[in-house]
Amino acid sequence: MASTLGTASPQRASRTSRWAGPGLIAPFAIFYVIFLVGPLIYTFIAGFFNGSLLKTGMGDWVGFTNYGDVLADSEFWRTLGHTLWFTVLTTIPLVLMALVLAILADRFVRGRWFIRFAFFAPYVIPSAAISLIFLWGILADQTGPAFEVVQWFGITPPSWLGDPNWAMYSIAGVTVWWTLGFNFVLYIAALQEIPRDVHEASAIDGAGPWQRIRHIVVPMLARTTVLVVVLQIVASLKVFDQIYMITGGGPDGSTRPTLQLIVDTGFTDGRTGYASVVSLFLFLVILAFSLVWFAVARRNQKES
Amino acid sequence: MTDHALSRRGLLRGGAALAAAAASATALSGCGNTIAQGFTGAPPASRRVNFWNPFTGGDGARMVAMVDAYKKAHPRNTLKATTFVWGNPYYTKLSLSAVGDRPPQVAIAHLSKVPVLAEAGLLRELREDELAKHGMTPDKFDTKPWKKAHYGGKLQAVPLDTHPFVLYSRTDLAKKAGLLDGDGKLTDLDGPDKFIDALKAMQEVTKGFGLAIASNKDPSTQFRLFYSFYRQLGGTPLVTDNGLTVQVDMAAAEEALAFIRRLATEKVVPTGSDGAGAITMLTTGKAGFLFDGVWQVISVQESKVKFDMQPVPRIFSDAPYACFADSHALVLPKASTEEAQRLDLSLQFCGSLLQSSAEWAAGGHVPAWLPTQQSAAYKKLEPQSHYTAAADGAVYDPVAWYGGAGSNLQVEVGDATIGALKGYLSPKAGAERIRSELKKLASVESPI
Amino acid sequence: MTSLTDGATTVTAPATDTPAAVPDRRIDSEKLFNRVALGVLIAFALLWLIPLVYAVLISVRPTSEVLADPSSWFTSNPTFDAYDSLFDKGNILYWYANSFITSALTTVITVVAASMAAFALSQVRFRFRQGVNMLLLAGIMIPMQVLMIPQFLTLESAGLLNTYWGVVLPQVPNVVAVFVFKTFFDGIPRELIEAARADGAGWLRTYWQIVMPISRPAVSAVTIFVFVHVWNNFLWPLLVVTDPEMMTLPVGLNSVQDAFGVPLPQLMASAVLGAIPLLVVFALFQRRIVSGIAGMGLK
Repeated sequence: MASTLGTASPQRASRTSRWAGPGLIAPFAIFYVIFLVGPLIYTFIAGFFNGSLLKTGMGDWVGFTNYGDVLADSEFWRTLGHTLWFTVLTTIPLVLMALVLAILADRFVRGRWFIRFAFFAPYVIPSAAISLIFLWGILADQTGPAFEVVQWFGITPPSWLGDPNWAMYSIAGVTVWWTLGFNFVLYIAALQEIPRDVHEASAIDGAGPWQRIRHIVVPMLARTTVLVVVLQIVASLKVFDQIYMITGGGPDGSTRPTLQLIVDTGFTDGRTGYASVVSLFLFLVILAFSLVWFAVARRNQKES
Repeated sequence: MTDHALSRRGLLRGGAALAAAAASATALSGCGNTIAQGFTGAPPASRRVNFWNPFTGGDGARMVAMVDAYKKAHPRNTLKATTFVWGNPYYTKLSLSAVGDRPPQVAIAHLSKVPVLAEAGLLRELREDELAKHGMTPDKFDTKPWKKAHYGGKLQAVPLDTHPFVLYSRTDLAKKAGLLDGDGKLTDLDGPDKFIDALKAMQEVTKGFGLAIASNKDPSTQFRLFYSFYRQLGGTPLVTDNGLTVQVDMAAAEEALAFIRRLATEKVVPTGSDGAGAITMLTTGKAGFLFDGVWQVISVQESKVKFDMQPVPRIFSDAPYACFADSHALVLPKASTEEAQRLDLSLQFCGSLLQSSAEWAAGGHVPAWLPTQQSAAYKKLEPQSHYTAAADGAVYDPVAWYGGAGSNLQVEVGDATIGALKGYLSPKAGAERIRSELKKLASVESPI
Repeated sequence: MTSLTDGATTVTAPATDTPAAVPDRRIDSEKLFNRVALGVLIAFALLWLIPLVYAVLISVRPTSEVLADPSSWFTSNPTFDAYDSLFDKGNILYWYANSFITSALTTVITVVAASMAAFALSQVRFRFRQGVNMLLLAGIMIPMQVLMIPQFLTLESAGLLNTYWGVVLPQVPNVVAVFVFKTFFDGIPRELIEAARADGAGWLRTYWQIVMPISRPAVSAVTIFVFVHVWNNFLWPLLVVTDPEMMTLPVGLNSVQDAFGVPLPQLMASAVLGAIPLLVVFALFQRRIVSGIAGMGLK
């Protein structure tokens, strides 16, 4: 082999690359194994034990007891229902509004700084600050601006966060306000990839702005939309911060998401076995959607 | 390429700005040491006592004054007090801090939570001789909280107070409603009908409601209300056997909920007010009475209205007088080493807080420290001394790993009570829900 | 157009400059549409700014005024008392520092580890490369949030709770970062790498001295994305940090009551203090941040 190749340098290169690849991957792989793969396996195993956060060791083997308990627990199904409902309530406006506003914003050059700042600024604010503003300010009973505005119309507003029939809508509204900027920015970036001559050509054809958007722009954004929808669903299924801080899952447990059930049972009650099983089920739900994401990412990679 | 250069400069500029901000933050607070600990995980300096509490508002201000008194008396010791959000988040932090090997040296815990914390092995048991060294002997404590501070035959906490659920009343409005007797005291409000009649009379004056109580976002308050009535009706503690057995007296629960529902159907009580809103109703005269904890006394006092406080009326007389109460106590979370425990420093601090009990009592709490409770100064304190009697009928939360201040038990029972108050659960359905939710909690194997 | 150039242009393209509307044939409908569009945009943008403006305005109202008239937004006697009392309570400066340190540490470690791995996957041939690639890519389907219990127990047994490492390490394996780098590296001309190799440069040197210096757009995208995410992460530091002086800004703001006090102006002031650092950075480097976030999000 070596003699046929002749020169020294490719030989050296081939020898080192045998270890170079794995060596370069190793640092990341170690983190990957310790903090993602390992814990995933552990979660699976811990579900068969009645471990406690406050005791050392795995606890005792309990077979499928935790699985049975979780599946029979109405609170688990209820939180899962809240999580899915929240996902529906946020994904639809967050995708549609971002799409419409981005298409409109793409038409203007001047003032774009302002528009982008307005929509994206909330996204860089920590959820803790968002929660303070809405819990004590905007959505406060009697004195909050949201209460006052509705009163102008002669309607008595509900307690936005205290009424079990309204709390989830309020939380969804806060979330739309908070994270719209992310999807908006994704669409803006995608719109900039559309060559200008596409617009110009169709304008010369006499197509009005509305037709151009419907028949040319929106279809060209289809791939981005798939990605935005999937990313949004996955993000919404992981909702925790704003609910934990604004309603604490209440009133009457009406906003408690599955992730909070995991935190409450796993870290407040310390029941690691039960919480592991809930984690695993939530993982499966998220997986159903992130598989699509995986497929998109794989296709993007193949094309590159 | 120019764009790249721009980006690099931009990044550098951003990085530099942030670094400068962090550096100045570091310099300003002199927290170099703390930051080093963040990297090494080393424990904090040795003469330092960390003290955690869940006190805000008036309580918070008073606790700060008490802590300051200690600091002034012991300038060589560093005491760092931190206030956390009340309820489950506080107790979660407390137990996670033990897991993370960085518990505070001293913490406030509710006596209703002490059995849970002790059972989980999170507390350092206290010996009487250790306490005596710092002037704390059993004869100086109110017997009820003192007894309650024991678990498994051992002393687990140093009680600070008893804080019952009470009735606030606007004396000026009560006078107009003809509810005051010759001495300016409220007339007899005992019995369900008498109580509601009084609320109606009050309502005539306020044109709003007779009585304010928080129901929105506040299951704990509703639990306190329910539990006071339920126990007056002779109801058994909801769970016994450390939370393993559910024992709901269904008739008593239903009757208590029916009375709470009646308050709403007679329209003498608002059904959509939160904690702050309920107090505002009293202070702005939209309601003449308020059911709340004694700790709100400062907020009401600040509004400068004429008011009085008294124990929750004896609505039902099927059992000895009862009203919900809990106690704050000082606990010493178990540390991994004697060095980190700092027993003497910690107990010295506890002793100092008890010496400042008069300050604490002004905030509404009935002091557990007898030298203060029996002092002439306290007896003259108004309206704080008017409900000392409530401490005798005090019933604490049922003991269970899922019970105590801000716990799952309070939330479940409170939510069912809210359902009955607002009318989307019938009293019967409410009682059934209480029983089934408690059964669910009890069926879970205790993690401690 | 391949998605490689997509990636590159997303990250580098100047964002503002091309006019969108067609200037030469102005039909009435075009004008009208633009006017309506502008109206809608401005209305929404203003609506979006209201909560922030509200928080700022309330935070400078004197507490006594708020108690007397809780629903008004304005004051003729603005005061910074609320801010003073928050700083007096002392912990917030620690939290700024802790948030900065943990975010910066995570970012640096992630950028180095992820770019090294991406370089290997993109440029170095070795056995099982495809398999490793798939395995890593599959990691985007594992959300950290469902792994909190074992991650917590791992850190507990390593004695890393209440340290910066406890906050940082589990946030490092960010698979998306690897693939942002890989996409970028895939677009680097092979000749460049081969020339370096022919000059006798080892793989590590090729990576560090040839590839990384020309990969600033990818580095900046990953840096911005990771920094913002770690800075704003709430749940994980909530669990691993209990020592008030070790808390990050979001956790401190939420769990330490001193941080926000009780009067409304203090609550709003603490929200403003929590929002300010990244808002300022965002205002200064808006375009870069937006394209960084988009570049990472669209992968």
